[in-house]
Amino acid sequence: MHQLQAPGRAGRAMAEWAKQLAGIKGVVLDISGVLYDGGGEGGGVPIPGSIDAVGKIKASGLKLRFCTNETQATRGKFVAKLQRLGFNILVNEVTAPAPAACRILKERNLRPHLLVHDDLVPEFDQLDKANPNCVVIGDAADNFSYKNLNEAFRVLIGLENPILISLGRGRYYKETDGLKLDVGVYMKALEYACDVQAEVVGKPAKMFFQSALAEMQVEPQQAIMIGDDIVNDVGGAQQCGMRALQVRTGKYRPCDEQHPEVKADGYVNNLAEAVDIIVKQLHK
Amino acid sequence: MAARRMLKAVLVDLSGTLHIEDSAVPGSQEALKRLRNAPVAIRFVTNTTKESKRDLLERLKTLEFDIAEDEIFTSLTAARNLLEQKQVRPLLLVDNNALQDFRGIPTNDPNAVVVGLAPEHFNYQMMNKAFRLILDGAPLIAIHKARYYKRKDGLALGPGPFVTGLEYATDTKATVVGKPETTFFLEALSGTGCKPEETVMIGDDCRDDVGGAQNAGMLGILVKTGKYRAADEDKINPAPYLICESFPQAVDHILQHLL
Repeated sequence: MHQLQAPGRAGRAMAEWAKQLAGIKGVVLDISGVLYDGGGEGGGVPIPGSIDAVGKIKASGLKLRFCTNETQATRGKFVAKLQRLGFNILVNEVTAPAPAACRILKERNLRPHLLVHDDLVPEFDQLDKANPNCVVIGDAADNFSYKNLNEAFRVLIGLENPILISLGRGRYYKETDGLKLDVGVYMKALEYACDVQAEVVGKPAKMFFQSALAEMQVEPQQAIMIGDDIVNDVGGAQQCGMRALQVRTGKYRPCDEQHPEVKADGYVNNLAEAVDIIVKQLHK
Repeated sequence: MAARRMLKAVLVDLSGTLHIEDSAVPGSQEALKRLRNAPVAIRFVTNTTKESKRDLLERLKTLEFDIAEDEIFTSLTAARNLLEQKQVRPLLLVDNNALQDFRGIPTNDPNAVVVGLAPEHFNYQMMNKAFRLILDGAPLIAIHKARYYKRKDGLALGPGPFVTGLEYATDTKATVVGKPETTFFLEALSGTGCKPEETVMIGDDCRDDVGGAQNAGMLGILVKTGKYRAADEDKINPAPYLICESFPQAVDHILQHLL
């Protein structure tokens, strides 16, 4: 699954997109599949070279932000996990869906019925959840039971104006023990059941990338996104005017490089390789 | 209302039309008797995936409906036919009761996925198992794609949402063998010698029963029992040929206007 290209060919291909790095002031990183693969005993395994790569970006003077659709835990908890794994990452460097969703729910006076991972629930503590007038769905993993889905369905079908907010719309992600279904699959299930269209908070929604760029104080044309999801990371970033690279780690599959709609600005074996090229280009 | 047609066959949905779980729709037994006095072939068609033909027959007999086993055509039968045709070994996400309708089909080392109404299998682990098989090339066969159905304790998710989710996850399309597929309605008529243009379908699901039948060239009568909800009739085009309170009224209309 992780197709490493031969050095010679890779060298020429990389030279191509490296030329397009002029003017880069900020790097936006996906987390799952780029920094680490989740799952297993310690909560995950760093992808070789990624810890150092993050350090290199920080040392380079480039601005850095992490833009993730992780919703299996609060921002605080999963950043702590990444720190334990050795990553130099802080909570205030991370743009994640749940905090963004809370802002939206508050603005619109929405009271959510939550179908999310148990560890994400605390993110919504400040919100009134009685008499829900919308459903919020996240990467609930084992909480995607028939019973829980049915409950969410019943809330939606009973609303005169059914609002379904989905924290991301990914199809699957990679954990240490294989590929697993992501929130997008269950979003589609509820959309179909209730004949509604979900609102997506998180990648690939434009607003989500734009808020990350605003935090970095960098224009889209000055930013490059690095992710493992050709549609949600790469496609989404490009739609905002950013450049974007796909890594061949995480959920990457070779057919991604022939995606009918999205062509990455470059394909790299992993984050370490991407960062080496970016930093080298900086010093030219 | 359409001009008078030569009616030769009537297809009748079961769950939601003749009965709701273990109760008959009032007046239906007697209405069926009256329909049998007319010169029409009758078939009972169902997407029910929780019950084998035997189970269905037993329940209908208990509710005092006069029905023979070979008048029942289910989407399980349609699924089995397809598996045999394709010669594949299925991962069967179907209710335990329904397994008997698949007896004789090998299920070891599955290279196909069959999804029916099986809440006990729609957990995250099983869905992941099915997902990985399909991603590796296994065909996805859906017994039907009903959005939801009516249980005594309210509406409940059907297999449709889960099939849709798997289609999205794998970027593939399921082969649907049940209503509202045209092939289902045509297969239901086999053995009657009747054509779709000579057939009326009576059901409570506007899209799957009435819409599906009309797309196959039949007339559709929507009954306001079972999972029917107000304004369902606005969701299909063309609109149902007729909307009735329940099965007995549909039979009245047929006897008075279509023969």
